[in-house]
Amino acid sequence: MVNRLAPSSAFGLVHRLGHHGAVRPARIAVCERTDLALASVIARRHAERALATRIADTFALALPVTPHRCEAGGVAFIWAGPGQWLATAGGEPGHRFEARLRKALAGLASVCDQSDGRAILHIAGPRARDLFAKGLPVDLDPSVMQPGATLVSAVAHIGIHLWQLDALPTYECAVARSYAHSLWHWLEASAAEFGLTVAPE
Amino acid sequence: MLDKTRSRLRQAFRLDGGGLIDRATALHFSFDGRQLTGHAGDTLASALIANGVHLVGRSFKYHRPRGIFTAGSDEPNALVELRSAARREPNTRATTVELYDGLEATSQNRWPSLEFDLMAVNSLFAPLLGAGFYYKTFMWPAAFWEKVYEPLIRRAAGLGRASRLPDPDTYEQAYAFCDVLVIGAGPAGLAAALAAGRAGARVILCDEDSRPGGRLLSERCEIGGEPGHVWADATVAELESMPSVRVMPRCTVFGVYDGGVHAVVERVSDHLPVPPPHQPRQRLWRVVAKRTVLAAGATERPIVFPGNDRPGVMLASAMRAYANRFAAAPGRRVAVFTASDDGWRTAIDLAAAGAEVVALIDARPAVAPELRARLPGVRLMQGSQVVATAGGQRIGSITVRSGAATETLVVDSLAVSGGWNPAVHLTCHLGGRPVWSENLAAFVPGAGLPPGMTVAGAASGALTLARCLTDGTQAGSDAAAEATGHARKPTTLARSDDEACAISPLWHVAGSTGKAFVDLQHDVTADDIVLAHREGFGAVEHLKRYTTLGMATDQGKTANLPALGIVAALAGRAIPDLGTTTFRPPYTPVAIGALTGHHRGKSFRPTRRTPTHAWAEEQGAVFVETGPWLRAQYFPPPGETDWLATVSREVRTVRSTVGFCDVSTLGKIDVQGPDAGTFLDRLYINTLSTLPVGRARYGVMLREDGFVLDDGTTARLAADRFFMTTTTANAGRVYQHMQFCHQVLWPELDVQFTSVSDQWAQFSIAGPSARELLSLVVDAPFDVSDAALPFMAATESTIQRGVPARIFRISFSGELAYEIAIPARYGEAFAARLMQLGRRLGVTPYGTEALAVMRIEKGHVAGTEIDGRTTARDLGLGRMMSSKKDCIGRTMASRPALLDPDRPAFVGFKPVDATARLRAGAHLIPCRAAATAANGQGVVTSVAFSPALGHWIGLGLIARGPQRLGEIVRAVDPVRGGDIEVEIAAPCFIDPEGVRQRG
Repeated sequence: MVNRLAPSSAFGLVHRLGHHGAVRPARIAVCERTDLALASVIARRHAERALATRIADTFALALPVTPHRCEAGGVAFIWAGPGQWLATAGGEPGHRFEARLRKALAGLASVCDQSDGRAILHIAGPRARDLFAKGLPVDLDPSVMQPGATLVSAVAHIGIHLWQLDALPTYECAVARSYAHSLWHWLEASAAEFGLTVAPE
Repeated sequence: MLDKTRSRLRQAFRLDGGGLIDRATALHFSFDGRQLTGHAGDTLASALIANGVHLVGRSFKYHRPRGIFTAGSDEPNALVELRSAARREPNTRATTVELYDGLEATSQNRWPSLEFDLMAVNSLFAPLLGAGFYYKTFMWPAAFWEKVYEPLIRRAAGLGRASRLPDPDTYEQAYAFCDVLVIGAGPAGLAAALAAGRAGARVILCDEDSRPGGRLLSERCEIGGEPGHVWADATVAELESMPSVRVMPRCTVFGVYDGGVHAVVERVSDHLPVPPPHQPRQRLWRVVAKRTVLAAGATERPIVFPGNDRPGVMLASAMRAYANRFAAAPGRRVAVFTASDDGWRTAIDLAAAGAEVVALIDARPAVAPELRARLPGVRLMQGSQVVATAGGQRIGSITVRSGAATETLVVDSLAVSGGWNPAVHLTCHLGGRPVWSENLAAFVPGAGLPPGMTVAGAASGALTLARCLTDGTQAGSDAAAEATGHARKPTTLARSDDEACAISPLWHVAGSTGKAFVDLQHDVTADDIVLAHREGFGAVEHLKRYTTLGMATDQGKTANLPALGIVAALAGRAIPDLGTTTFRPPYTPVAIGALTGHHRGKSFRPTRRTPTHAWAEEQGAVFVETGPWLRAQYFPPPGETDWLATVSREVRTVRSTVGFCDVSTLGKIDVQGPDAGTFLDRLYINTLSTLPVGRARYGVMLREDGFVLDDGTTARLAADRFFMTTTTANAGRVYQHMQFCHQVLWPELDVQFTSVSDQWAQFSIAGPSARELLSLVVDAPFDVSDAALPFMAATESTIQRGVPARIFRISFSGELAYEIAIPARYGEAFAARLMQLGRRLGVTPYGTEALAVMRIEKGHVAGTEIDGRTTARDLGLGRMMSSKKDCIGRTMASRPALLDPDRPAFVGFKPVDATARLRAGAHLIPCRAAATAANGQGVVTSVAFSPALGHWIGLGLIARGPQRLGEIVRAVDPVRGGDIEVEIAAPCFIDPEGVRQRG
């Protein structure tokens, strides 16, 4: 009888837990989210409207057509470009979420598991905006971006998909898994002056 | 107590009262090893002046003694090396260096010492070193230039020395966004920021100084009945209380770019001995502003006269700054030489500070009587000019000419005032050209301002305090209204007076002898300009390059306009007719470190790590960069020190038992939709739409021009779902190509695709025992038999108790092989599991090197063959091209030149002498022909030592190669000196029938 394979942290955070930087208490808290199932959803040709209806019926949420995130019952659709979304679900294996979506959206969208394609950081704290200012060429000021909004951009030459959850502010940031270490290196260096806590999930 | 007394004694030129320094805080510093003290609030320059130190450096070319000329970032002379060892920083301006306790400064460009500089002998050769001397004196013999003249000149000239050690500090970059960016925190900038902030706009106020206030800190002036600096402090306090306003001192806006983007360098830690923990030394900001108010002020310009470079000669406004702001007396016996009312303020302020004003020398024949009344008891020499100075390491006397008479005055310093130049630099960064103001005798901002920018205060030519405040308030209010769309709010204005600022320009005191310096930093004299004009280099852009005027680190801030004045007089033309040279970023020098930010060393660019990276590190793998990826190149066990031995062992193990390799770096693209097959048919030269579900097929795709773009295998997972792979190197490019084809060429196709390169950890398991290892890995009841999983089969299953997996029976090594893809998070654990399960079979991990050896042995093409210059036909893949359908590049691939039978075509090579080493890149030449480019028939593209064959083998392209099998040619490698005979062979060296992979 073999043991199941153990999953690894994309960011190697198991070795980085605890406090970093000079300021205490830390003004930024980070953890990796490995519990989220992710799937890219791309509308079939001319199927966007029908897809929105299907998603409204199935998941009881309004599919965003502008850069926003909509969540209901643990499932969220995050705008990722015209006709494209990143769908997320908590606590479900990625392949099962993909299968569920494929079934629900059959004929209306192409669905592809990305639960391991993207690594997700949960970043919260009063200085989180100042952290992103050190790499993200986008204005995160509350007068411009509010909870529920999302953006696709790059930090330190690494593509990211960012969404804001609350006004603390709290963000989640998706990055191609292979770039996770490089992104982390930038983040740790940039957040250190504000004090950084790395927490287990 | 003793210490305090001593420090006060040493600061012999520190004024007893006044100044914006903290006298309670003594700061110790050293200059050329001399221990000195200053106070918090000092710059290095003001502290030196307070200590009576005026000789600060030696000039660039003639090594003449030089002192402190300005009190700001326009300083051409007082350049010093700051700090030591790895933090040594050359060419820092003493006038902008904030004093800190323990500061170490060293003069530069002198040997053996600042006071006694042997290189000053250059002055004797001055006749040889004039304008354009590079082009004349060192012309003959030509061969001497590179070996003799240039090294000599470079040693003799130049200024500071770089540390040559890695910079121990960090730098970072940041973005900021605002409605209104105000550049400069002088009276106009403060007024603008205040108006914009009170109007509710998001405001950023940048100033290069450590303390906001601009000239308010250096002038004796009043705003609303209070000293100007008090008003400045109160204004800053109000601004800092507004949550939407960010005041950024020590921030120089050095460039303006499209889209309201401004480049700003923040000197975060330059005023500290070392940066605090987790703080960078400098930070590069990109400030994106909807509106910009440029309130950069103006810089004073000198008058050019013989001996004007002696230490103790200083701009008049700088003397006021040292006396008023820093309470440091620039001298005890001072003369003022001016062509404008502004110089009078210096005389008045210095007299008030207790200095003896020996004479006020005004070049103008007459001045306003009310001005005269403000300076009683000082000798006024009207219509007079300074024609010479004398002194050793500091000015000792000046010679003044009044009409026909000359007179020598004993002085220890001389203030010079030639008028003010508005700081138009940033207005020109997007193509704007300044225009001439007759009134100010200076250039002011002209048309073509960067979009969204307005100019206020002295930068616009409004030189008086009252106008700075009015203009600034108006500009700030307007900018806020335009940026936010809110209505303008009425603003209250602080009261102040307009001061006298009349000027009659004087550029150059003519008719005198002796070196009169125009560009102090580059040692360009008035005679050089005369010479350049005489030799036909009088146009401003020619003048600049011929004389190097304005090309030093100060970019000629104090030099350019006097030079124009001199040329205009020579040419008999007006200054505006001559124009100016181009103002380009950066406004002041910026350290490369700040531009680099986080991206240096290992962070130069982001690195992609494979899912098994950490595991491979534990195994002691040697890594190699392949594109953005870091991949395991080979796995040397302890004791194995020769890379070739390791690689050969890995290859032999795979070919005899079993090995595995992380191939996750291949580009992986999930293609779905009803038209997915059609889409792939149009991309690949062969047909993919006929691929049955559960099967994989090799494909080749072309660029539009008919050359091969990439290759890889594609598997069909469902009727409407394909899983295609690309080479590691071309993954991004192919994805981009597909996006272009879909979005632009065939938007009608109902196809969706997304990159899944990062989703899957993919392993190649290869070797005669691969099936056995696979059977240990998969979950029951998966059937690994050849019948159930034949060559080129593709299927989905689970492994290791439920981990979803895709299993492909494809082979790059030529062995019985499988590729297993599992979710990337399990990659690391799976590699360890394969080692554990395969131990009994003698499994080995193998890296990119063994992978390459085996593909060369099998004659598979890779990046060195698919180099953008080869067609499918060249690579022996021409028969894959389907004649039943069209595809990208098909038509262009049939151009006659690409069908030429003499084109180099793909074959293998083996050395005639089996012990000879073949080199990739070697040129293929017929045996009896000379080794010249004209005789080249092709190149060796890939080589490997084949452990199975026991000798080196190669792949490459040679004219008509496939028809020349068995022929002997030479492989000539001029780079490494190789010249060996090789036999042209079929590219597949091992198991050409493919029995093993189908086993």
